[in-house]
Amino acid sequence: MSSIESMTVQSQSAAGDADLDAFAPEVISVRDVTMRFPIPKRYREWVLHPLGPRRVVTALEHVSAEIRAGDRIAVMGPNGAGKTTLLKLIGGLLFPSEGEIRVKGLSTLHHNAAARKSVGFVFNEERSFYWRLTGVQNLEFFGALDNLPRKVLQQRIGELMQLVGLERAADQMVSGYSSGMKQRLALARVLMADPHVLILDEPTRALDPVASEKMGSLILTDIHRGTRKTLLIATHGAEEAVTLCNKLMVIDDGCIRGFLNLAELNHDAATLREYYRHCVAGERSA
Amino acid sequence: MRAFLYKALAFIRRDFRIESGYQAAFIMGLVESLMLLVILHFLGQLIHVPGSTGLGKYGRGYFPFALIGVAFARYFDLMLRMFSESIRTAQVTGCLEAMLSSQTSAITVVTMSSFYSLLSGGLQLVMILLGGVLLFGVNLGTMNVPATLLILLLSIGIFVGFGVLSASAIVWLKKGDPITWILGGMGSILGGAYFPVEVMPGWMQKISYIVPIRYSLDALRMTMLTGASLPSIARPLETLLAMAMILLPASALLFTVAVRKGRKEGTLVQY
Repeated sequence: MSSIESMTVQSQSAAGDADLDAFAPEVISVRDVTMRFPIPKRYREWVLHPLGPRRVVTALEHVSAEIRAGDRIAVMGPNGAGKTTLLKLIGGLLFPSEGEIRVKGLSTLHHNAAARKSVGFVFNEERSFYWRLTGVQNLEFFGALDNLPRKVLQQRIGELMQLVGLERAADQMVSGYSSGMKQRLALARVLMADPHVLILDEPTRALDPVASEKMGSLILTDIHRGTRKTLLIATHGAEEAVTLCNKLMVIDDGCIRGFLNLAELNHDAATLREYYRHCVAGERSA
Repeated sequence: MRAFLYKALAFIRRDFRIESGYQAAFIMGLVESLMLLVILHFLGQLIHVPGSTGLGKYGRGYFPFALIGVAFARYFDLMLRMFSESIRTAQVTGCLEAMLSSQTSAITVVTMSSFYSLLSGGLQLVMILLGGVLLFGVNLGTMNVPATLLILLLSIGIFVGFGVLSASAIVWLKKGDPITWILGGMGSILGGAYFPVEVMPGWMQKISYIVPIRYSLDALRMTMLTGASLPSIARPLETLLAMAMILLPASALLFTVAVRKGRKEGTLVQY
């Protein structure tokens, strides 16, 4: 058995055993979660089988994972593997078809609003802002939705615009922002409510290498180091994963194929790539 | 209550800031309303029979009848559409998911997203009525103001209820909202905005009993044109009250169910 193979087996049987923060409290618990998306019936199906059940796509199947406070997890996998679905389930934006997800002990299904309080979600969708409002006006609106009192909100907006480096573009319409600026604004938006868990869905997807580096440094140096927030970052970049994260979760075909501490891969991008390839290709050949 | 107002103001401020960039739309809406008033005024010159079928009970000619009918029908129609439109706009602009991931419930998001339309539509309503009074000499001096406001409030309750039902349909079906289609279509013919219900054939009049706008417009004309007291409009008032009491909680419940279904099936932000 190669070293990579042994790591896969080890990580699947006892994920996180080698975790340096093994004694940190568990903040997210994903228990035997399955997510199925029904496919709308076509006209032909309505005519031929009007009462028949709809077909479904299984995006995740019997997924379990425990995530501890302060973990920085890189969630990797091919397109359509189920990464965003898992993140949206943890963020309480989707409800699982089976199984349960708990955030700080609260079920995302039964105590959705309370569970969502602990989670901030940075979408990979650039269009999640009002483009005809300025950056500050957008934050004022979304901050009010998070029940932040006006005084606190104003102060927080000032601090966060400075943190994400948008203080000079604060009064500029979002329509004039670059992709990188919108990503940083999205980060400022979720940080307003100061959540314990930050979910970042491909935060550097539309960014050039320099902007990606800046974003990475912002996440790691300014956000994580100061507050020890738990981070879940969906990414396709091996370098980004080893720089930003301490754990790696590989998802493919709706299942977790590997979940291990990056120290086991020596925080090396090449080893990570090899491990990733093994997880994905190994399962396919099997 | 303070928290509610604070959040409501945030929604109104958001929409005002966005809409203030489109002043032309507001002005064009007003010009369109003014043109409609002119058309109705000249039609009123043709139909100058104060005692004619259906108009007699209001004691006025056609123009005051149509002015109130058209002004309020447009306002109620706006209410019917504004919730589903706000949901669809939020879906298309990509902001729905961001709003629903906040600490504000889905029903609050959809309700408050309509506040600005409610206010700007209300302003247009007042301006149409003022236009009728100032430009065409409609006398509203006998209006029973408290009774009119009560009828208006109940009617808003009903159309908000239908509007939220329509938003539930949009969450469920994405496109093609049957509530607006049925109510909007039926209301424009059977509601009595342009002509009295009494001029329709008997079978059509019978169907019009299930159209809520019929009761609203009848009661509003009675209180605004004849100064009718509350006891004299007891029947439409009771009907409106019963409809509002059923519709408001039922629509909120259905919307919550639709959002839950959307979260379960992953279709909430699809459009």
